[in-house]
Amino acid sequence: MRNSDVLLITAEAEDVCINRNEMERRLGVEKNYNDELIELEKKRLMSLLSYRCAYIRTDIDLRKENVVDFGFMLAESRNLYKNLKGCNEAFVFALTCGIAVDRELAKMKICSQAEFFVLDALASAAADSFCDYAAKKIQGKISCVPRFSPGYGDLSLTLQKPLLDRLDAQWLLGISLSPSFLMTPMKSITAIMGIKNEKNN
Amino acid sequence: MKKITELIKEKRVYFDGGTGTVLQGMGLPPGQSPELWNITSPEKIISLHNMYFDAGANIVKTNTFGVNRQKFDNYEELIAAGIKCARTAAQGRENAFVAFDMGSTGQLLEPLGSLAFEDAVSIFADNVKVAAKCGADLILIETMNDSYETKAAVLAAKENSDLPIFVTNVYDASGKLMTGADPAAMIAMLEGLRVDALGMNCSLGPDIMLKIIGEFRKYSSLPVIVNPNAGLPEVREGKTVYNIGAEEFSDYMLRIANEGGTILGGCCGTTPEFIRKTVEKTKDISYCLPTEKNYTCVSSYTHAVFVDDDPILIGERINPTGKSKLKEALRTKNLNYILNEAIRQSDAGVHILDVNVGLPEINETEMMTECVKAIQSVTDLPLQIDTTNFETLEKGMRVYNGKPLVNSVNGTEESMKNVLPAVKKYGGGLIALTIDEKGIPDTAQGRADIAAKIIARAKEYGVSKKEIIVDPLALTISSNPESAIVTLESVKLIRQLGVKTSLGISNISFGLPQRDIITSTFYANALQNGLNCAIMNPFSLAMMNVYHAYRALNMLDTGCSDYIRYASSNAENVQKTNNSAGAETLHAAVVKGLKELAVQKVGELLVNTEPLEVINNHIIPALNEIGTAFEQKKAYLPQLLMSADAASAAFEVVKQSIPTGQSDSSKAIVLATVKGDIHDIGKNIVKVLMESYGFTVYDLGRDVPPETVRDCAVQHKCKLVGLSALMTTTVPSMAETIKLLNETDRNIKIMVGGAVLNQEYADMIGADYYGADAMDSVRYAEKFYS
Repeated sequence: MRNSDVLLITAEAEDVCINRNEMERRLGVEKNYNDELIELEKKRLMSLLSYRCAYIRTDIDLRKENVVDFGFMLAESRNLYKNLKGCNEAFVFALTCGIAVDRELAKMKICSQAEFFVLDALASAAADSFCDYAAKKIQGKISCVPRFSPGYGDLSLTLQKPLLDRLDAQWLLGISLSPSFLMTPMKSITAIMGIKNEKNN
Repeated sequence: MKKITELIKEKRVYFDGGTGTVLQGMGLPPGQSPELWNITSPEKIISLHNMYFDAGANIVKTNTFGVNRQKFDNYEELIAAGIKCARTAAQGRENAFVAFDMGSTGQLLEPLGSLAFEDAVSIFADNVKVAAKCGADLILIETMNDSYETKAAVLAAKENSDLPIFVTNVYDASGKLMTGADPAAMIAMLEGLRVDALGMNCSLGPDIMLKIIGEFRKYSSLPVIVNPNAGLPEVREGKTVYNIGAEEFSDYMLRIANEGGTILGGCCGTTPEFIRKTVEKTKDISYCLPTEKNYTCVSSYTHAVFVDDDPILIGERINPTGKSKLKEALRTKNLNYILNEAIRQSDAGVHILDVNVGLPEINETEMMTECVKAIQSVTDLPLQIDTTNFETLEKGMRVYNGKPLVNSVNGTEESMKNVLPAVKKYGGGLIALTIDEKGIPDTAQGRADIAAKIIARAKEYGVSKKEIIVDPLALTISSNPESAIVTLESVKLIRQLGVKTSLGISNISFGLPQRDIITSTFYANALQNGLNCAIMNPFSLAMMNVYHAYRALNMLDTGCSDYIRYASSNAENVQKTNNSAGAETLHAAVVKGLKELAVQKVGELLVNTEPLEVINNHIIPALNEIGTAFEQKKAYLPQLLMSADAASAAFEVVKQSIPTGQSDSSKAIVLATVKGDIHDIGKNIVKVLMESYGFTVYDLGRDVPPETVRDCAVQHKCKLVGLSALMTTTVPSMAETIKLLNETDRNIKIMVGGAVLNQEYADMIGADYYGADAMDSVRYAEKFYS
């Protein structure tokens, strides 16, 4: 049983180019820095990634100040409201790098903190890069405002639940939520991307 | 009317198709729970079932997929109403059955997720009790993408009803569940749990399922259910539609039926039309049930391991007999040590890990369940649950994710009557020891007789011969000179009984010097006599040499490719050790982050140097050097952590040389990532550095409630607490933790760190110190305790 309007994007590890800046930022290294360990973990990560993204296009209602009504959830947030101002519709999506990354990280945590740290940083960069990749595919030629996620600014993490439920994320992506609204697999992202209200859209 | 379990033996039966698809056509808005209609619009639900029965379906799924006590307070009412709707539609029809539809809880189970295994069993059990009372004909556990949750649901169904159990899982295009299991692994586990039919549903169209069906045909002895989606959803003219129509769908279903699909139906996007066409095209083709397969196999949550001509290595290192470090780890509940042993053996190439945690002074059952869960979080190898305690065995099998290997049953009445029912219930490969009330027979024939007795008794309990692996017990030749000869003869005789064999190889050389020489030669002989499994030490080069050579010599290693890889990796390791000779001191090894070398060098130093001097004059200065380089941006975090890894490994060695009472355990810190925050990388870095500087770290992990932090600080009388947060939304949670700690004890000092924090924030929430980075935090902690 699922909502029949949810669409899916999948990608192989090599389809997504992991953003170098993001990687360097998360590793805390200078530009173009590289070493044996980073190369080793990159190779390891590539064998673990299984990118999946689910999304819908939905109407949004901004008539009430600082409240965004998605039909299936109400978001009370000044920051999101500002972000979506002027939009009538939005893409709502969730994506993940897959559970194999979590399993390997759990293993690394026991064996080597250095390897754990590097793999974790690279995997986070991979999730961000897949988010860019998926967002580009989702929007196509449609212009959108910058994307926004639960946990940013004043947008509550509790929204993860209705958002993931609406996307059937548990079945489609294997994402589940802890009682304190944290996602497993860890390298998963949820996002809202308002569609600019222009004639050509 | 016939029972569904009888009917599927005689003819092809059909499931219905999509529920959501049809209901959304009747006006159900996207995002709304369809189950509510069981109560508010039962006529629509009855009409849905009627449409499917009319189309030729024999089994309809109740509209209860998402119902459980966590999601709906009135779950009992929703289930009862759902079953009533389906029963109403089935009324008066021939061969029409009602499957109580039970979907996932929506939560991932521990250890990766947060739902405890027994909690999941209990949630499903509550559903099953209602379904059994309300008159369902069978239980369909469907759309499960995790093997562990599937097991919880099956156990709940078995323990709370006598209804037949059908199970379908969600595979992706690569033929795996989202949590990693392939069909062979799922079949091994589900057949072990004695379900009545199994298969796949959702996620894929029939085109892709056609590619996977071969795996089911190959491994399954049970009827195979195939309920695909109508292809994949895509946008056409602004609308989301599935890309395979009823005609094309039914063409694929015909091919699936010919390839081994036994029970056919549909899932998302399919409608009564899809089922009608599928029934029309497949009802007249010849029907045959899958043949009984004769594999001996065990499984994990990703794959099955088959015991056949290719030898199986079972790592023996997690067994406290004769291992003082492991004993100590078990006594102090040092799971990390045990997990490390698991990972090292897995990396060394074993296929199965033996887990024996029996020590007189600990609670073996608790330790076994904890270890099984923890080990399965770091390795995907199947486990061998090794114990003489029946309760431990049962509990270990229960929490195990997959089909375990059980070590062991023996020929005594007591053992057989306790172990065999557990294997019947949970499923498992079973090691059978050739010992009974009279002891171990001196002759091979005597041992084969006990094996035959166990095989016969197992059959009475419903445990098939193919599950049994006989261990004729190798005793040391130092006190039993004829042992090797009798054991080898036993292996040969027992193989003639049509079962597989296993040996605890290392026992043969007990009490002798240079044991590897004897053990590995005996192993080669045993393999030649038909031995299948060896419980052995994978860190023994001699043993691994025999294993690889035997496979290459016996055409089990195509093109000798595994052997060539093994041989070249051995050469590489020698090379590596030679290359690291450049770092000649412990100091240099730590600075360069060379873990193995650091361990070697610290061992050399300890011969003539006091342990505390090694820490203060060698390890700490080396760490300070790399720490300063990091602060001056001459080194980066990865390097700093490599050094910390090396220092920690060296520190562990030193610790063992410090007489109890001398170690500086007063230097302690409680660390936690605050409630609501999943980001623990910063905290982990601080932990590693703290440990490498000799601090005792109480690491509470991530998403930690304020009370847990307080309790830990109070329990350990620890006056230093480090808190981390990465998201702006969790800073209030950090403030709350600080407040609670301050209320508890003003002497507790709290340092905070994390990407969202700065000095100003830290002051605002009342922290005592803001650690700008990991080194900064260490410097503060050092000052605090100086």
